[in-house]
Order: sequence, then C-alpha cells, then structure tokens
Amino acid sequence: MRANPDAKGLLNIALETFRYDLLPNIPPAQRYTALMIANALSIAQRELNGLDDAGHAMLAALAPLYGEDADGSLSGDELRKRVEGLQHRLCIEIAAGDFDQDGQGMLMDCLEEIVRARLGISNPKALKS
Amino acid sequence: MVLINDDSRPRLEAWLAEATGATRVSVADEGRLGGGAISLNLAVTLDVEGGPLAGRHACVLRAQSSAGMKASISKMQEFAVLRAAFDAGVAAPEPIAACADPAVLGTDFYIMRRADGVGAGHKVVKSDEPQRGLARELGRQLGLLHKAGPDTAGLEALPLSDAAPALACIHSYRDWMGEVAARDPVLAWGLRWLEVNAPPPGDLVLCHRDFRTGNYLVKDGKLTAILDWEFAGFGDPMEDLGWFCARSWRFGRNDRQAGGLAGREDFYAGYEETSGRKVDPQAVAYWEAAAYVRWAAIALLQGRRHTSGEEPSLELALTGRMLPEIEMDLLRHLKAVGRTVEETSATEARAD
Repeated sequence: MRANPDAKGLLNIALETFRYDLLPNIPPAQRYTALMIANALSIAQRELNGLDDAGHAMLAALAPLYGEDADGSLSGDELRKRVEGLQHRLCIEIAAGDFDQDGQGMLMDCLEEIVRARLGISNPKALKS
Repeated sequence: MVLINDDSRPRLEAWLAEATGATRVSVADEGRLGGGAISLNLAVTLDVEGGPLAGRHACVLRAQSSAGMKASISKMQEFAVLRAAFDAGVAAPEPIAACADPAVLGTDFYIMRRADGVGAGHKVVKSDEPQRGLARELGRQLGLLHKAGPDTAGLEALPLSDAAPALACIHSYRDWMGEVAARDPVLAWGLRWLEVNAPPPGDLVLCHRDFRTGNYLVKDGKLTAILDWEFAGFGDPMEDLGWFCARSWRFGRNDRQAGGLAGREDFYAGYEETSGRKVDPQAVAYWEAAAYVRWAAIALLQGRRHTSGEEPSLELALTGRMLPEIEMDLLRHLKAVGRTVEETSATEARAD
C-alpha cells in the first residue's frame, strides 16, 4: 500500500522547493540554520537513494581481506548486517595487533574504500578535495 | 535556557557586588553570543559602583549548558585555567569572577571581559596573502601557555593522570567512542596506530586542547583573544600544535597548514620564541593523528547528545554525521606519515 508520491518523491520535491524558492529569500540571521536544514535533507535524500550501493562498495572492500567474494545479491537489512559483521571482525583483528607488522597497505586501501562509500552519502564534496 | 530574568537578576547583581568588592552592580543582558555548542555565552554589560572595578565593563557570562559534555571540565576549573593563562601573559579574556552557588543562577558560571573581533574560521582564513604574523603570534601565545603546568598555583583542581599523556588521551578517546570503537574499523585502526606509536612521557604542560582557528578573535589582522578553554588539561606540549595544524581547522585553506593562516614554520618559530622548547615535527605529526581520532570521538559525543534525546539540535545531529569526513582526513594523514617514515628510512639507508 505504497502511497504516491512516496517518501523519496516527497523529500526530493521538498528539498528542491526549499533550496530554490526559500533559501535565496532567507534573512542573513537565519541563513546558517537554513543551510543546515538543506544539508540534513540532502544527506537523508542520498541515504534513501544510495544506502545499498554504499553497502555493496563496503562489502567489496571488506570481502577480499577474508578471501571471500562480495555477495552482490544482498540488500537492505541483510546487506547491512553482513557489512557490520565484517567490520566488527576487522575491528577485533586490528585491536589484537594483526596489522601491526604486515598487511597495512591492504588494510589502508580497504579503510579508504569504506570511508569513500560513507562520504558519498554524508558529504560527497569531501571526496574531491 | 534563560539565565537572567526578573527573578535571578537581583541575585546575580548582589553576588557580583560582593565578588567584586563593589557597593552596587547592575547587569544588562545583551543576548546570547554564537559559538556555544557546549557552553552558554551571554553578552552582558556591568555597571559597577565603588570598589576596584568601578566603571562600565563589556563582559561575557559563560555558563554550563543544560547537558554539559564528557570531554569538558567544569566551569570552576575553566575559570582557574583562564586565570592561570591570563596571569601567564596569554591573550585570554580577563577573568572577573566565578560562582559555584546554584542559588544564584541555578548553574555554575563565570564572568570574563568581552573581547572584540571576528572568530568565524571561514572569515579569519580569508586573505590573499598568507597571514604569517598572525600565525607567529598564535605560536608565541601557545608557547606562553605551555609555561604553565601542574605546579602552577591555582591549577590544583585539574585532574592529573598517572599514565603517559598519549596513553591517557587514547583511554579517553576510547571511552568517548563507546561501542563504536569496536564497530568502526577506521577508528579501531586510528586507536591502534596511536597505541603502537605512542611517544614516551616528557614535559607535562597546561594544554588548551581546542587551540585552533575558530576559537580566537582577530581584529584588523591582529589577535585580540583566545577563547573556549573548556577542554583544557595537562598534556604533552606537542598535542596543542598537532591540533592547531590539523586539516579540520584550515577552513579550506589546505595550502596553509598552520590553521589556514600560513605555513607551519611561522607558527613553530613563534612557539619556540616563547616556550624555550624546540618543536619536534615527528611528535607534532603523531599528535595530528591523535587530533583526528579525538575530533572523531568528540563528533560522536556531540551526535549522541542529540540522538539520546538529551538535547535535540540540528547542529549536534549534523556534527555526528561529520565522522566520515574526519576519518578521511585521518587516513590521508596516516598515509602521509607512513610515506615520510619510508622516505626517512630510505635516506638513512643511502647515507649508510
């Protein structure tokens, strides 16, 4: 019983209206708050549209550390749990000193890919700098 | 949170008269000042009759915000730090009086002199030419501050850890992160790297712990005041230098590594001038890594103040979402530090 427009559709048009119709007319004293609202809505929009893509990118970064293939068929909660499980395992290995001597290059590549996937949602501009 | 109203004003004025040795003080509340994510800052003007402070004074009343924060010290401790810094000749706002009696305003607070100037980081870094004089002056100020330490009078109430400063810091970061430290491999690696590379204990000095662009005021290109002393504590002197130079506080001017103002050499030269201590670039690089891990931990704490329902705020919520950005800066830095180590070893190997 999905309503039309759905949550994504409503958010898209609300953000566009806010950004183009309202933001240019906001008095300077409220501009900072208005920009924060636009930023928060943009993050929510990217998360609604791209959470699974980010999850797949993170899985693709983590799986090779464990000699596994990233399972491209996962989505939603299943995907999230798989990524969280591997991240937790990696945290335990890091804390135990498994990467103190060897494997740092591979680890750094993996961590960078994970952060890039999350930045794509929270702040894609930071990917360019 | 309204601090000064018709009820509380007479109590505040009576307390101030006593604290300043005046016959009468009247307080005009001029509203909230910006930049208080953790503390509440009110602009006030005091009209003092009699006593050593007789006259009119533009001041700031700084109080604990409703929730407070794990990483910060109490307002009474902050006042003691401000006093020590001011007495050491640092451009800290002059402390006037502090009050720990909840019967006055319902929360701890203190009053300091108000300074003029621009604080917002993106405005401060805006300049066609590098601001070399300002970077050097900030280095000098930090050097003066670092002359204070655990033996300085008035700082007895600040906590002292038995552990080496680096290990004490790592312990705090892990505590602030909570279970996220076991779920986020970037933070887990940051913490591990800091543990493995921790420098041995050396001098212990009074650190500001938030000494950065955005936390000082500038007027006509000159420094007028260093603000936000709520994270101060005893630590490794290089900690404040690493924090100041971190990418997070360059406001887009990444080519000017000292706070978005100028190159590090000006800042370091100013520091060496007044501190009597040589800057150790390798130690600063360690503490810059610590800066990203610490900022990540603080962003998590800030986000949690919102998500816990304790203090609903869009600004706090968005700070919580800054984590990946801070982590990217951490990874970039660790990569650069790794390269430097490799280059140094290669040069040493060639020299052999």
